[in-house]
Amino acid sequence: MSKKLTLLGVACVVTLAALAAILGAATTANATRTDDQLVGAGSSFVAPLVSQWQNDYQTKTGVQIVYSPIGSGGGISAISARTVDFGASDAPLTPDQFDACKGCVQIPWALSATSIAYNLNGVKNNLKMTGPVLARIFLGDITQWDDAAIKALNPGVNLPSTKITPVYRSDNSGTSYNFTDYLSAVSPAWKSKIGVGVNANWPAGVGAKGSSGVAGVVAKTEGAVCYVDIAYAKTNKLQFMSIRNRAGKYTTPGLRGIKAAAASIKKVPASNELHIVDPAKGDPLAYPISTFTYVILPTKTDKAPQLRRFVFYALNPNQGQKFGPKLLFAPIPTVVLVASEKTLKKVQS
Amino acid sequence: MSAQPAQYSLRGTGRMKRRKRVNLAMEIVATAASAVAVAALVWLVVSVLIRGLPALNLDLFTKNQALFGQAGGGIANAIVGSFVIVAFATAFAFPVGVLCAIYVHEFAGATIRQAVRTTLDVLTGVPSILVGIFVFSILVAGGKQSALAGSVALAIIELPLIARGTQEVLALVPGSLREASLALGVSRWRTVLSVVLPTSLSGILTGTMLAIARAAGETAPLLVTSSIVANSTSLDPSKALNSLPVTIFVYSESPDPNQHAQAWAAAFILLVFVLLTNVAARAFLARGRRKLEGAPARRRRLRVYHLFTRP
Amino acid sequence: MQARTRRLGDRIGDVALRLLTGAAALGCIGLVGWIVYEIFELAWPAITEEGLSFVWQTTWDPVHEVFGAFDFIFGTLYTSFWALLIAAPISVAIGLYLSELAPAGVRGIVGTLVEMRAAVPSVVIGLWGILVLGPVVKDYIGPALGAVLGWTPFFKGTPGDVGQLSAVIVLSIMIIPITSSISRELFLTVPPDLKEAAFGLGLTRWEMVRGVVLPFTRSGVFAAIILGLGRALGEAIAVTQVIGNRQGVNWSLFETGDTLASRLANTFYGASSALEKSSLAYLGAILLVITLVANIGAQLIVYRFDPLRERK
Repeated sequence: MSKKLTLLGVACVVTLAALAAILGAATTANATRTDDQLVGAGSSFVAPLVSQWQNDYQTKTGVQIVYSPIGSGGGISAISARTVDFGASDAPLTPDQFDACKGCVQIPWALSATSIAYNLNGVKNNLKMTGPVLARIFLGDITQWDDAAIKALNPGVNLPSTKITPVYRSDNSGTSYNFTDYLSAVSPAWKSKIGVGVNANWPAGVGAKGSSGVAGVVAKTEGAVCYVDIAYAKTNKLQFMSIRNRAGKYTTPGLRGIKAAAASIKKVPASNELHIVDPAKGDPLAYPISTFTYVILPTKTDKAPQLRRFVFYALNPNQGQKFGPKLLFAPIPTVVLVASEKTLKKVQS
Repeated sequence: MSAQPAQYSLRGTGRMKRRKRVNLAMEIVATAASAVAVAALVWLVVSVLIRGLPALNLDLFTKNQALFGQAGGGIANAIVGSFVIVAFATAFAFPVGVLCAIYVHEFAGATIRQAVRTTLDVLTGVPSILVGIFVFSILVAGGKQSALAGSVALAIIELPLIARGTQEVLALVPGSLREASLALGVSRWRTVLSVVLPTSLSGILTGTMLAIARAAGETAPLLVTSSIVANSTSLDPSKALNSLPVTIFVYSESPDPNQHAQAWAAAFILLVFVLLTNVAARAFLARGRRKLEGAPARRRRLRVYHLFTRP
Repeated sequence: MQARTRRLGDRIGDVALRLLTGAAALGCIGLVGWIVYEIFELAWPAITEEGLSFVWQTTWDPVHEVFGAFDFIFGTLYTSFWALLIAAPISVAIGLYLSELAPAGVRGIVGTLVEMRAAVPSVVIGLWGILVLGPVVKDYIGPALGAVLGWTPFFKGTPGDVGQLSAVIVLSIMIIPITSSISRELFLTVPPDLKEAAFGLGLTRWEMVRGVVLPFTRSGVFAAIILGLGRALGEAIAVTQVIGNRQGVNWSLFETGDTLASRLANTFYGASSALEKSSLAYLGAILLVITLVANIGAQLIVYRFDPLRERK
């Protein structure tokens, strides 16, 4: 009896193993050799664009790009520990992080914007908003949608008395960096209380992981508001606000607004760190919460040739960058492109 | 028999009617509690069924993740990856667990026996996220993620289950069998290998199956050891591989209803696997026990069940 | 001649088996020590930097690099407390039902079903918690509780579909299978003659339970509850999916919160600065200490009072 049972057990295991082998073989036929692989992690902001690159790059060169959107902070940490081949972050490295990374460079390789997405049934899209009022919402000072401050900006709109639920990134996020960078620029109260960073001591609301997590919470919570890359807001059909820039105009995170904000860059500093939030009066079309996003590479690495080839592809206006506009990534301006390519040459074996 | 002093008067006090009513109330409460527990489980399983079943299609098993914003795609690499990771984990844990149990049963004195028992119980109690961080610190930090690192973490989780299960079942082997073999001049190691082990094989398999069911559902250790994964199916354990639990976790937090559907389907597959394995393991256990012993088996159930039902 | 070689082979085999299995056993014991060591080693920079005051410091600010564990310790203990409050009585009641009341057929089915719940992976419970339980809590359970108990500080505010209440429910769902199955086994060990004596004296079943069964198994049930608590304390995945991930000491169950295990699972891989990573490891060390205490405590109780303790 026990022999039969043992035989049965062994037979089960063998069958399962065979099944898995068949399944694996069938699908591994399409997988590439694993030496032709570049592993990266970091910003979920740039993930939609990288996703397009993965497909195209593999078809063109056979090299597989593996990318995981664990958040900009995670990307910086992973490349510092050399757990991955490249890191991606919307937040520029601090001097401490440069030290910890032991010889890294940051290269701006994409350009987009952070939208302020919200969920209010029956209310029109593109609600008007200003920086200071937004800061008060995320500080927890304004708790209802029909607050006087919001009403004043949107005369004629019927705002419900729903509770406002601010949604923020619970992981270390470059989008948080971009958003807090903007709020610090426009609200002294925010700057002194909270400051700028990939994460913060968020005083109010609900946290969620990753851009998709945040979009997920907003999609199912009435009255929620969050900051999330425009690509996620658009794909999930979330409402997003139009923000007043320094010129006094209300702009939305479209390609025009992003390009106009980026045009404020006349010269790229040596560290490649670029801030384009709340750009000066110059361009009335500029969307004030735009940001560049960086790829972080070690200057000395075995995979230097493959990495250089990949990032060149990504920066190329006719290759990587051409996938951008559909996902609301504007092509990076020439002055930045030149600086990026110059920095890329520093990556050697 | 240790009779504890009764704290309440054993003589009936008060009117019979009132006491009967109180009794009835308590019986209703107890029944209701069980009903609530069963209802919650049924609600859970039915939810997974209703939402997972419609999402099952061939694409799910043959394709991998779709590009950002696009519909469709599947979880083929997660299914294969889970299989690889759990297979390696069991391969690591099984020999160590069985050998450890043999030592405790055959050779150890009372102190070591108690020490190992306590250690294994403590090990079961370590939160799986901490096991993951431990493996991260010794295997991933300074290097890359890999499915093997994930397997080591899951092996640590499987180990106490296999060891305790084997130990329990070895203890059930009648002493007379062993003594007869030794009396015939068979050496100790031969006795263990050809008499004791085969008799307890079904029990060992049971313990292993329950350990596999538990490991297959673990998410936290894989989040830190095998989460940066490629969009293609692979059997290579030196790279990070996708897995069902991690996929469910990531998709559960996304806003995309398409990913939700795939998460439910993955949950359905995982749940079916885990429940079937549990049922099969119990059937094995009951059969094996019936073969070895009759009534005293009941007493052993205490430790055995508490061990196996502890996720 | 043949007998001698066989005996030599046997002796080598015996020694080999003893060494091999002994090594495995030693490895098991060593593993626990190694785990504790590694986690404390990861946490060491934070321990030296922040010291013991980390435990009652409430700020967790990655921007200004000030870290404190108190919010998460509170979250862990608070949600576990409420989960136990719900799960312990239900588990004992289920144990009693299955051992005393249920007819034979029902006993088998219900018992198996309750134990099956222990097999459900926590990520599946979390998925169900976000997409199914959450809306139900927001629309039905929350408002009902708010209507009845809204005046207490525990149910202030409006319920969302994530929050500490969802976490408490999810944790209860996980505690009940373990605690109830152990309780049931314990109740079955009460000597039948004690029970029959009570009936003979004219007691109702409930009085018999209250006067004989419960006192007899009291410490075992207590240990079972502690074991369940240990489970709840260490649960990371399902909790992080439904709790809302916000730090702060929130007494209201309708608010979002966070626990040690949840914060660890959520942010460990994405920690950006070395201090943050080791502060998270410090949280892990605290969690390890708490769960070890609970676990060893339960074992001590079982060891002391288990009427079936084997004397091998």
